[in-house]
Amino acid sequence: MIELRELRKSYGGVEAVHGVSFTAETGSVLGLLGPNGAGKTTIMKVLTGYHFPSSGKAVVDGIDVEEDPIAVKSRVGYLPESVPLYQDLTVAEYLDFIADARGLGSSAKAGRATAGAAEAGERARAIERAIGACGLEGFYRKKVEELSKGYRQRLGLAQAILHDPPILILDEPTTGLDPNQIIEIRELIKSLGESKTVILSTHILQEVEAICSNVIILNEGRVAAQGAPSEIGKALKGEERIRLRLKAARGSAEGLDREALSSLPGLRSVSSFRAESPAVLAAEIAMPPADAEAPDVGETIFDWAVSRGYKVLELERHRLSLEEIFVKLTSEGEGR
Amino acid sequence: MKNVLAIAKREIRSAFNSPVAYAVILGYLLFTGIYLYFIRGFYVAGQADLRDYFTVMPLVFAFLVPALTMRSWAEERRLGTYELLLTLPFTEGQLVLGKFLSSFALAAIAVALTIPVPLTASMLGSFDAGILVTQYLGVLLEAAAAVAVGEWISSLAKNQVSAFVGSVLALLCLVLVDRVSGFFGAQGLAAGLLNWLSLAFHYDSFSRGVVDTRDLAYYLSASVLFLYLASWGLTRRKWS
Repeated sequence: MIELRELRKSYGGVEAVHGVSFTAETGSVLGLLGPNGAGKTTIMKVLTGYHFPSSGKAVVDGIDVEEDPIAVKSRVGYLPESVPLYQDLTVAEYLDFIADARGLGSSAKAGRATAGAAEAGERARAIERAIGACGLEGFYRKKVEELSKGYRQRLGLAQAILHDPPILILDEPTTGLDPNQIIEIRELIKSLGESKTVILSTHILQEVEAICSNVIILNEGRVAAQGAPSEIGKALKGEERIRLRLKAARGSAEGLDREALSSLPGLRSVSSFRAESPAVLAAEIAMPPADAEAPDVGETIFDWAVSRGYKVLELERHRLSLEEIFVKLTSEGEGR
Repeated sequence: MKNVLAIAKREIRSAFNSPVAYAVILGYLLFTGIYLYFIRGFYVAGQADLRDYFTVMPLVFAFLVPALTMRSWAEERRLGTYELLLTLPFTEGQLVLGKFLSSFALAAIAVALTIPVPLTASMLGSFDAGILVTQYLGVLLEAAAAVAVGEWISSLAKNQVSAFVGSVLALLCLVLVDRVSGFFGAQGLAAGLLNWLSLAFHYDSFSRGVVDTRDLAYYLSASVLFLYLASWGLTRRKWS
């Protein structure tokens, strides 16, 4: 569980985060979304104890990051955006160092003492689990500098989950991966999110829709919107649109005029109206946010078209996507 | 302590996985060897005395140590592993101490590899083992202080080159500052102060085989001071 209260952080007099508050529950994946410079990485750096807040509080599992940064750090697994790896170590040596840092058993070989063997077992199990989860089998003896971008990203993730932390903070975890790898890693994050608190930042909106239970859209260091991905859509949806293509049963569609269409009940306006061919007509219709009580507009349009002797080729309700919401929210500030 | 050793172990592994450590140590052995046998003409002089060899060490360390310490923080910044280190459950003190320990260990390995020099020389004449031990103690203490300075400068530097150049300059100043008093004919308090600051001046009695507690205290407190400065700098960054 992560709690942020009125967090502010400035770097050399310039405030990057202006009072952000949110809570991320255990067993959820929270997505931080925003353009570059919106403050996503800064928030993550505060939560991992890399930077201290200028004011406000960041509490991780009930521990204030400023009061006990070491306790916070040991509960957090962090994948920074830059994917920090030591180029001149092998994958094995790198994970061994992380295991040392995380206090996972000792690196002593089994057979020295029974306690030592048990500890070494703990370490071996942790490394095996992380390597398996991130699909790094077969790369254990490779040098980090020989790994491709995608495998470096996986190793960074293996590093973050090595000690099975209750909190995971992932800064753009799927950049540099190919589509198959992206799906694998998303599945992994999703399954980790069932028992842990996961915060990830991303530019990719489908990622949020695919794996996040909650989203916070940040813009210029402030929360622009927050909620479940579908709720955010609903709350911000100014309007929905209907795309319509009609074909005249015989002859031309010329008799169909714009006013007739826009005068139908439940529609706001016809935003585009053009003849694709003499017989086929394409229109885009704007309508107010869907009201559960109101009759379905699709039905109205269909009945109307049939009564006039038109065939409905296409009738599609188009929801404002997260992408459009994002652009809308984050470009509004620019005019100021 | 476990954490300090974990950091030091990682550093030493990285150093020996890349050619840098080998090159630096080899360079050190070559240079000091050439100095002793060719420049000072050890065999020509016909005297089984290694004082010259040990006296030049502070000056050599002004180049050797920066080559070992330049990577320590500057390289972490370049790779981004700086962020990893500072988000692992280490305190700033443990990080600084771990890095100090690894660079010091590399310097100590380089120094240990010079042991054949007095060994072969001892076949040529009678050596006082006590003096030799003192000389090595002095070398190691001087190296420790120099490593601490190098670590501190590396922690401030943006890249390896500036870490190296900065550390060489700082160490040269600290090594040569006692010569200034002789050069300008400084006397009394001023000369005392300049001498007191010098890394080489405190080394002098060791190379003669004398252990003076004032020199011991100087090296130890210099090491502690610069390590503290490095750790303080890291902590301060969290607020900026």
